Amino acid sequence: MATALVEDRLTYLWETPKTLRGWFGTVDHKELGIRYLVTAFVFLLIGGVEALMVRIQLARPNMAFLSPEAYNQIFTMHGATMIFWYASPILSGFAVYLIPLMIGARDMAFPRLNAFTYWSYLFSGIFLYIAPLLGQAPHGGWFAYVPYTLTVYSPSVGMDIYALALIFLTISTTANAVNFIVTILRLRAPGMAISRMPLFAYSTLTISFVILFALPALTAACIFLELDRRWGTHFFGVSGGGDIFLWQQLFWFFGHPWVYVIFLPATGMISLIIPVFARRPIVGYAFVAISTMLTGLVGFGVWLHHMFTVGMSDMAMSFFSAGSMTISIFTTVQVFAWLATVWKGRPVATTSMYYALASVALLVVGGLSGIFTGVIPVDWQVHNTYYVVAHIHYVLIGANVFPVFAGFYYWLPKMTGRMMNEALGKLSFWVMFIGFNVGFFPMHILGLMGMPRRIYTYEAGLGFASTNMVVTIGSFVFGLGVLISVVNFFVSLRTGEVAGRNPWNSDGLEWETDSPPAPYATAHVPVVVTRHPLWDDFDEEADPGNDRVLDGGRLTQTTTWLEAEPEGIATIPEDSLAPLAMAVAMFVFFITFVFQMLWISLAALIGILLTGCYWMWPRMSKEVA
Amino acid sequence: MSTTVAEVSTRPPGRYVPLNGLPIDQKRGEHAMWCVIATEAMLFVCMFGSYYYLGTNKDRWADNLPPSLKYPFVLLAILLSSSVVLEWGKRQVERQRFRAGRLALWATVAIGLVFLLLQAFEYVEHWKTLAPYSNSYGSIFYVITTLHAAHVIVGMLLLAYVGVLPRYGATRETPHRPYSTVSLYWHFVDFVWIWIVLLLYVIPAFQGHAHGH
Repeated sequence: MATALVEDRLTYLWETPKTLRGWFGTVDHKELGIRYLVTAFVFLLIGGVEALMVRIQLARPNMAFLSPEAYNQIFTMHGATMIFWYASPILSGFAVYLIPLMIGARDMAFPRLNAFTYWSYLFSGIFLYIAPLLGQAPHGGWFAYVPYTLTVYSPSVGMDIYALALIFLTISTTANAVNFIVTILRLRAPGMAISRMPLFAYSTLTISFVILFALPALTAACIFLELDRRWGTHFFGVSGGGDIFLWQQLFWFFGHPWVYVIFLPATGMISLIIPVFARRPIVGYAFVAISTMLTGLVGFGVWLHHMFTVGMSDMAMSFFSAGSMTISIFTTVQVFAWLATVWKGRPVATTSMYYALASVALLVVGGLSGIFTGVIPVDWQVHNTYYVVAHIHYVLIGANVFPVFAGFYYWLPKMTGRMMNEALGKLSFWVMFIGFNVGFFPMHILGLMGMPRRIYTYEAGLGFASTNMVVTIGSFVFGLGVLISVVNFFVSLRTGEVAGRNPWNSDGLEWETDSPPAPYATAHVPVVVTRHPLWDDFDEEADPGNDRVLDGGRLTQTTTWLEAEPEGIATIPEDSLAPLAMAVAMFVFFITFVFQMLWISLAALIGILLTGCYWMWPRMSKEVA
Repeated sequence: MSTTVAEVSTRPPGRYVPLNGLPIDQKRGEHAMWCVIATEAMLFVCMFGSYYYLGTNKDRWADNLPPSLKYPFVLLAILLSSSVVLEWGKRQVERQRFRAGRLALWATVAIGLVFLLLQAFEYVEHWKTLAPYSNSYGSIFYVITTLHAAHVIVGMLLLAYVGVLPRYGATRETPHRPYSTVSLYWHFVDFVWIWIVLLLYVIPAFQGHAHGH
């Protein structure tokens, strides 16, 4: 069979028609991955604008840019948006786009679930933003401590929307995690044994398990909160025998593992990017993989360090302090692996490499301040001050935003087919890097001087004023740096040079495909024989007998989870509107529930069921082998 | 990268080809179900954790007025028998005896319905002394048991759906895969009830007895 014929056939099978139905019904992971990235980036920009509003209010003493209530709402929305609707979904976006390409599969294990995951993520975000449009945004901070968030102090509908939007998002995130687990363990290319898997797949697999076991605590907490607020139960209200610390226990049992959910995939990206630009395989692959998994595991044993000031036994404090220290060992293993890779390699100074290396530096600063706050006496001193704000931003911007930008500069040529402009990229990098450090490093000092977090203003003469001004200026510079990259993206999309298959001479399977990839990825299912498929002498696509084309329908391979021996052929469903309908029905359910239109909620529930029935109903696909 | 070349020679690529002719994969759904069960199990763990956490700052907790043991064991027997019936049905389907399989499926749904009815009776009786808004004990007790009841309902809906699935085509003899996948979920719901009986009924009754209430 001529190759052109094979490719025509595969295109016919895999291409989503460019119609309205195709746009809403697509299950193509590449399309959905890009939507994830765009949506999460928009949330980053929204959250960023909120941060800048907070910074304007704090620039000078006694400012009246925002009222105290508006300030509370804005910083809560900033935190919730960034932590829940930006930081994790943007990494999911990279994973949804890249994981199937990296492991040589033609799509995710559950493509329609993948589409549902995206739509429900989008709708949960829209649902959250109904609250500020009503002028009743949640105002209890992103971790929403009771009793402040109970109806006595927060009568507005904002807290209800917060609780239900999080439950909605939890459904989406959990579905995504299930999808990644099955995809990564079952659909890897023949020969991609678990010891040859890209490190990004390791980190995504790890956080998927973390999500399965951590998110239920958040769900439980939000259910309790909503029941207390609306149905008169006594989980948190002390008068009825409730316990305010129950919220804190549940929230942080979820919350600390969540930190690794938004951190580990970013380190996985760095572990792929640094070796490529250092021109050598990563040092200590096995150690990096194992410490990634151990970080996820031990991350479950540290949550009380958010609560050292509430009062607990010395034994508990020692245990959780030690647990927190243990995590830093695993992170340090990764940091040294990256440094050794650069040290032993011949680094190339690309924008992506700049971001990746800066991320390592900032992560070390954030990690060190984390060690300080893990020590109990220091924690008691700096608890609830700007020191903690500085720490969380060094960790989350250093180990999430900077790797994400490294990832954009590295993988956008694959997604768009055009190279990003390096000069603009480096300009953007330096503006962001300087702005970030000017904006956030002084927060350490403010915290040590005793400035509490979450105050809407401060008196003159406390010594906070000039430092706060510097912080505000830095944050605006940082925002400008982000904007330069956005401009760069649009300019490069039109005028960038054509990327070709493998512009960086990278090692991963995703670079075996065209840029942007064909809907079926590669015409022949690749076979992998080493950890760095494109750097070895073996031709992954060599298949003279056309034995690995799989063009008898929408098909991809399944392999054994450990050795990746071929095991079977997986059928991949076609485009469907059911996922979108399901997400819409859920959206209606939550929105009517929050406004107490319970009959419509019931109708929406039935709609969800019927959509599920339609979704799972067996039907014949285009062709079945 | 000299090691990689050595690896190539020890693992001849021909070993991995061809893919054509391999069987259609039937296990992804079951693997996903295990993940769902893991996260649901964790939800119940969080609920039980909250039950004990709320109890820690009370002088007397459930053993003050332990829930009656009249119903939970009957309910347990009902649920366990349904699991046996379902497991039998699954084996019938594996042996291509589809009619018997479907019968077992609907029998399980019926038993589930009996369970819910009986639990409703228990609620009515229990409500006289304890309501969700009485105190934190009532809140957590009813949330855990209601959450379980919701899982029973979801399980019944899933079973009923498999019960109406058609047989379709030679390669996908029905409804074998959905049958075993859904029965996993049903067994899990049973398993949770064992824990509820132990933690929410039996242990408080023992403690109440020991404290002489």
